Amino acid sequence: MTEIIVNSESRVFRDSLLKNHGAERLMLCYQCGSCTNDCPVARRIQEFRPRNIARLAMYGQKERLFSKDLLWLCAGCYTCYERCPQQVHVSEIISALRQAAFLEGKIHVTIKNIVSSLPLHGYIMEIGEFENELRQDDGLPPAPEPSLSEISTIMTRTGILARVGGG
Amino acid sequence: MKYAFFVGCTTLGRLPGYEKATRKLCERLGVELIDMLGSSCCGTTYMESLDEVTALSLAARNICIAEEMGLNILTICNGCTETLTKANATLKQDQKQLDEVNKILKEIGREFRGTIEVKHLIRALKEDYGLDKLEKAVTNPYKNLRVATHYGCHLLRPSDVMRFDDPNTPTSMDNIIEATGAISVPYPEKMECCGGPIMGIREDVTWSIGLDKINTVKKHAETLITSCPFCYLTYERAQLMKENKPDLPIIHLPQLLGISLGLSGEDVGLSHNKIDSEFLKTKQGA
Ligand code: SF4
Ligand code: SF4
Repeated sequence: MTEIIVNSESRVFRDSLLKNHGAERLMLCYQCGSCTNDCPVARRIQEFRPRNIARLAMYGQKERLFSKDLLWLCAGCYTCYERCPQQVHVSEIISALRQAAFLEGKIHVTIKNIVSSLPLHGYIMEIGEFENELRQDDGLPPAPEPSLSEISTIMTRTGILARVGGG
Repeated sequence: MKYAFFVGCTTLGRLPGYEKATRKLCERLGVELIDMLGSSCCGTTYMESLDEVTALSLAARNICIAEEMGLNILTICNGCTETLTKANATLKQDQKQLDEVNKILKEIGREFRGTIEVKHLIRALKEDYGLDKLEKAVTNPYKNLRVATHYGCHLLRPSDVMRFDDPNTPTSMDNIIEATGAISVPYPEKMECCGGPIMGIREDVTWSIGLDKINTVKKHAETLITSCPFCYLTYERAQLMKENKPDLPIIHLPQLLGISLGLSGEDVGLSHNKIDSEFLKTKQGA
């Protein structure tokens, strides 16, 4: 295991995480490992350890947390959320870390594609003529036409559109 | 009973059988479903881990449409249920977030007022329709049908947000199923995630998570019943991709209910299920 180096930069990063909605209780983690124990992903991917993610976050080890696909491997199942005796909620810590990574332009391409689809189609995929014809065969009404301009306005206003577009 | 029907992207675009079964079931039960004009994707469960204000605003826009209709929302996807329920709860409680979101919504001529609730079909059946009434509506009860239920994650978790049923030992879906005469069997790892959310990140892990449950369920039941289009697709695809002979039928909850209420296989879109599920029509006792 690589050495953990704590410096002013890591402290600043840690403190910024703590301000994130849902991540406030990070420092209460006592490393019991309940989260790792019951995580369906940890059972199958050696390098994905929720307990270790909490530990690295407490020490503000941004580089290691942002390396490879680590943060994007969480399935968001909230099992760790329910199990943690300290209500640290690793799922929320991971969410705070993803937000921090995304602020630096880091986002998994699959998720980026989903987000980019919303202002174009209003859905996570195109639901157009072809799909509506199939729907009609089953006696279903056409899919609601989403107000694309409203979705674009929201996503422009929050800045997320520029951030996924900019890559 | 009347709801604003929020179908959700995946069902709208990929699972006409699920949507048809839901509509026919509700029709049979006398539950009115009204389409939500202008509604869109709920915002996805990913969005809150990218940008909270965007997640809240996209969800709130959909909620506003139902508020304008004066109706509670009925959902049939666990992901949509969680996204919309969380936004609804947050905006009802947190004035600061509400102000920020309403400032954005104002630009598109909308306002979140906090006047409605979001309910998954299971929750609506349990809380609004009632199990007794459902049981009385069953005309063609199943006989000797052993099923396994998959609740999935976001119908119940995070439990302090969803506030529905018990996150560890839930009973709502099992009780609904038992009203049809089917037997809901206990099995290990019942509350495990389907693995679907990381299909586009690490597909091999999704198949591994999915097939573990498939193999367990095969030892206990004839079919796996789902309440979410993502879970359904994950368990169906895991078998189609990885097994020579995919043979555990995955059935949407309203399909199972519909047949017991006398609807036909065609009514509930059974032929859309890629793993042959026609056996369901032969399981009636009487
Ligand atoms: S996050 Fe919670 S469950 Fe995980 S190690 Fe820390 S205290 Fe234990
Ligand atoms: S939410 Fe993520 S980290 Fe927590 S148990 Fe589920 S997959 Fe593991």
